[in-house]
Amino acid sequence: MSATGPRPTLFVRRRLRFLGLTPDDAIRAFFGGNAVVAVVVLALITYFLVREGAGFFGQNRRNLEVYRLAGLEFVDHLRAQEEAHTALTRRLSELRLKAFARLSAGTDGAEAAERALAVFDAYAERFGAAIDPLRALGSELAEVATGIKTKFMVNEDRKEERRQLIAEGKAGEAARVGVVPVDFAAEARPLLAARERHREVNRVLATELLALQAAPPAPPVPELRDLLERFGAEVRSYVAELPAIERRLETWDQAKPVAAGEALRAFLFGRQWLTASFWQDWYGLLPLLTGSLLVAGVALTLAVPLGVGAAIYVNQFASVREQRVVKPAIEFISAFPSVVLGFFGIAVLGEVLRQVSQLPWLAWVPGFPFSERLNVLTAGCLLALIAVPTIFTLAEDALNNVPRALPEASLALGASRLQTTLRIVFPAALSGIISAVLLGLGRVIGETMVVLLCAGNRIAIPDFTQGLGVMVEPVHTMTGIIAQEMGEVVRGSIHYRALFMVGLVLFLLSLAINFLAQRILRRYRLAPS
Amino acid sequence: MSAPTHRFTPRSGARRLREAVVVALFRAATYAVLLAGGGVFADILYKGSRTVFQAEAPFINTTFLFSSPESLHVFEWEGRRREMGDREFRAFREREPGAADVRAESFVYSAGGIWPCIAGTLLLVAGAMSLALAVGVSSAVYLSEYARDGRFIRFVRLAILNLAGVPSIVFGLFGFGMFVIFFGWNVSLIAGWFTLAFMVLPVVITASEEALKAVPQGLRAAALALGATRWQTIRTAVLPYALPGILTSSILGIARVAGETAPIMFTAAYVVRDRLPWEVERAVDFLFQGVMALPYHIYVVSSKIPQNEYTERVQYGTAFVFLLLVALVAAASILLRNRLRARLRW
Amino acid sequence: MPNQTTASSPIVEISELDFCYGSVPALHGVNLSIPARQVTALIGPSGCGKSTLLRCLNRMNDLIEGARVVRGSIRIHGVDIHGPEVDVIELRKHVGMVFQKSNPFPKSIYENIAYGLRLQGVRDRARLDAVVEQSLRGAALWDEVKDRLQQSALGLSGGQQQRLCIARTIAVEPEVILMDEPCSALDPVATAKIEELIQELRSRYSIVIVTHNMQQAARCSDQTAFFYLGRLIEHAPTRDIFTSPANPQTEAYVSGRFG
Ligand SMILES: Nc1ncnc2c1ncn2[C@@H]1O[C@H](COP(=O)(O)OP(=O)(O)OP(=O)(O)O)[C@@H](O)[C@H]1O
Ligand SMILES: [Mg+2]
Repeated sequence: MSATGPRPTLFVRRRLRFLGLTPDDAIRAFFGGNAVVAVVVLALITYFLVREGAGFFGQNRRNLEVYRLAGLEFVDHLRAQEEAHTALTRRLSELRLKAFARLSAGTDGAEAAERALAVFDAYAERFGAAIDPLRALGSELAEVATGIKTKFMVNEDRKEERRQLIAEGKAGEAARVGVVPVDFAAEARPLLAARERHREVNRVLATELLALQAAPPAPPVPELRDLLERFGAEVRSYVAELPAIERRLETWDQAKPVAAGEALRAFLFGRQWLTASFWQDWYGLLPLLTGSLLVAGVALTLAVPLGVGAAIYVNQFASVREQRVVKPAIEFISAFPSVVLGFFGIAVLGEVLRQVSQLPWLAWVPGFPFSERLNVLTAGCLLALIAVPTIFTLAEDALNNVPRALPEASLALGASRLQTTLRIVFPAALSGIISAVLLGLGRVIGETMVVLLCAGNRIAIPDFTQGLGVMVEPVHTMTGIIAQEMGEVVRGSIHYRALFMVGLVLFLLSLAINFLAQRILRRYRLAPS
Repeated sequence: MSAPTHRFTPRSGARRLREAVVVALFRAATYAVLLAGGGVFADILYKGSRTVFQAEAPFINTTFLFSSPESLHVFEWEGRRREMGDREFRAFREREPGAADVRAESFVYSAGGIWPCIAGTLLLVAGAMSLALAVGVSSAVYLSEYARDGRFIRFVRLAILNLAGVPSIVFGLFGFGMFVIFFGWNVSLIAGWFTLAFMVLPVVITASEEALKAVPQGLRAAALALGATRWQTIRTAVLPYALPGILTSSILGIARVAGETAPIMFTAAYVVRDRLPWEVERAVDFLFQGVMALPYHIYVVSSKIPQNEYTERVQYGTAFVFLLLVALVAAASILLRNRLRARLRW
Repeated sequence: MPNQTTASSPIVEISELDFCYGSVPALHGVNLSIPARQVTALIGPSGCGKSTLLRCLNRMNDLIEGARVVRGSIRIHGVDIHGPEVDVIELRKHVGMVFQKSNPFPKSIYENIAYGLRLQGVRDRARLDAVVEQSLRGAALWDEVKDRLQQSALGLSGGQQQRLCIARTIAVEPEVILMDEPCSALDPVATAKIEELIQELRSRYSIVIVTHNMQQAARCSDQTAFFYLGRLIEHAPTRDIFTSPANPQTEAYVSGRFG
């Protein structure tokens, strides 16, 4: 026991307390609150994207319902048939183009070629004209369908007006706004009645086409015989398809409800993004998603070898002085504003690439020559410049983190510098490099201005049948579409909500990429540090 | 087995050559990147300098830097090709009686200057960075000084990492949904501030944490052993020594804030606005006004007007000014940070 | 205020102390009384828990995650320092600490010494000046630095920095000073100066010093405690420990035959 006895107040100090907190606790809570901001922001982003976007599915379902009720779907079956025929006609003109080129290359020149092709032209014309009755029927029915749709829309507008008037308390005026519900079944009767005529038209069409394909014109150039024969086969299969279309019209059920899942499917797997159309709006993600992925693919194809190669060189082979210049320089590139790069693409790079593509000795490159300045390639090149610094910096870090002992052991065993790099250091850093590439991918997919300015902004699924040549097609992207259309849409409209849904997809995609990158980094890290 | 060999003969020539070629390839990749970056930089600096600089004193095109954008009118007059900005053209038509019905080709934004854009960008950056620094540094202080590793902190760190990967256009949508619509701030400076601040938050937090971690533990221990509270320790023995690092690294965040277009497209930027940001009647209007901004202006002039010799001047000029601003900030940050890293080996 | 206790009475009483880092035990059942105004040396092989015990005395271990007292108590002036009423900040003002690696703040010499007082809100320049001079004299550093008080403390030599840290500690007038291998990074001349300083300080402070240097323990401590594997093996007046240790392990250690 201490001589002076216990003094319980020795280390005690009365501290100011507020709500049971000392000032230190309060300060700690303040900092903690700030630390949570990142979590909160992430949650808010999710919340607001969902809040603004979620209404999309209901609206799109309604949109699809109207598409069916008003008979647009019915008419589109007809149109598909018409379009398939148009494709065949286009095939004929391609054949003619080939024949003409061949013939006019001969001694007699263009005039003789025209003469030699006269029979073929007459045939092609007859073939093209065969569809006219169907086309007439199609546009007649289209008018009916748009008529129904317009009626419905007007009605909806009226309803809205009435709702507003009621909300404003003007019940009297509201009552005067007439709303006559559209009787879809009655309105669509002319459509259903046209099925008989359609069968008739098809019978004539089939006879005509079969007759035509049975007696093809003598091929003006012998090489075309095969092609013409193949054309004949295509015509036969087209005719064989006709009953299926009739059946589709026969079984078309105007009253069939649109399932909730269909609205989602139409968004995720829809092949068209078509807005402000007088016929039918489609909000399909696929063209945008493929566009984004295609551009990102081209960008990474360029950026990965460059970025990783540069990282390996700088980390493993460069002198200290070289390192001291190159590293900040590449970091500096990462500060280039993307809108400036996009402008550079419009002003310089697009034209340069186009001219390069037209060099005769580069004609072997798939897709070359091309005439569109703004396309996947232009955007991809610029995005590569954006991705390289990201990939470089992270990959260089990963190489740097490989424990010194590994390369030393390898070198001491008599391996050369390069062998050590490729067999020891590179594999050891691989997980870091892969996650660097993934983060580069995230940057590229999320990049807006470059693709908006340089990707060509054509909303269509690019034509993959041409192989690698697809990389010079103009495309539109998820980021680009938001930037381009967000400013022009009506708040709360289905189009507006669709853009938020695209944003949500983009957000989830970036989270997934980020998550994957971190997983890889953590799972395969060398030593727990 | 012909040449006399000793134990340390060099390896065969072919193998060495192969290695040299591979290394040269890696090196080529490095310099290709630098060349591409340098090419873009040089092209814009070269072509833009023709707009921004001029032959006679003061050598800098003050009209371009310090006036508002106008339309450019190009027309033939008395056999000569004339180019005039809006105001000049109007005056000219009043002065010259025959000019009233002269047919002029017009190009929007191609005359005058970009002062409102410069001002708007500076305001956006200043506000967004102040917010981001306040929240970001506090957040980093918590993570590095208070937090103990646990589930929650790992979750916070994960959120920060993920926030860093969110595309800027998504921030734009979010800012639009939250600030512009939900809070009803409309397209405004303050909506832009918050949107941009949240976007750079991860950059600031990461940079600040790095700087805080670089302060040696011994200083904290010393302060605590002298009877300092946690906060006193942070305030007197940690933050002062971390501050230079925090600031220099955060400058890189400035480059990012200034350089982004997508987040401000629907939250803060106007295509054109005839008043300067500080020409407002009430002080609150200052916060709730949209502004012009350099990046958005570049987007507008490069996509919404045709490319030709008349429009090229403003396009390249704006790109020049913007790139130079961002590049200076970035270069300063990189250099300062490298110097600091070298110096701060305690 | 300090030094009210008589010279022989214990100022710190450690009883049955068990201490763990997470699930790893570091101290077992330590019973130790530290007399006031004497120098107590803690010796023992590396990892035996000397620093742990030292850091318990001013609760610096609070900062380490998972570190906790499992059993037993530490009383200073009879007050359990882990008691609910105890303010750890106040405790640390009474129990100062000097670290193995000198850690002056990157400020001027003057500001380093004044730091502790400024924390307590002292602004009075005259009082600060007086305390700075007094502390520097107390740490036998005054004559060396009196002309450069406003220069950075980082410009001092290693030994001077360590004495500065001691001066900084005594500026807040603690009763107990803990020193964790204060000389291990110093050359023999600087070490000698610190030892001299410790001799001077013992008249006013209770000092607990961890050292690996047997001669140092023998030279400048009054009591010595020998630890092994987290247990206190022997505690006795220094002379006895070095001349006639009761425990064979102690003997083996102090005679250098072990670990
Ligand atoms: N922060 C910590 N976390 C976990 N275990 C620790 C920690 N610090 C010390 N230990 C463990 O506690 C035991 C005692 O360590 P302590 O530092 O007290 O030894 P020491 O006697 O001071 O050794 P030295 O003479 O080397 O300084 C050791 O086994 C050590 O590994
Ligand atoms: Mg120790």
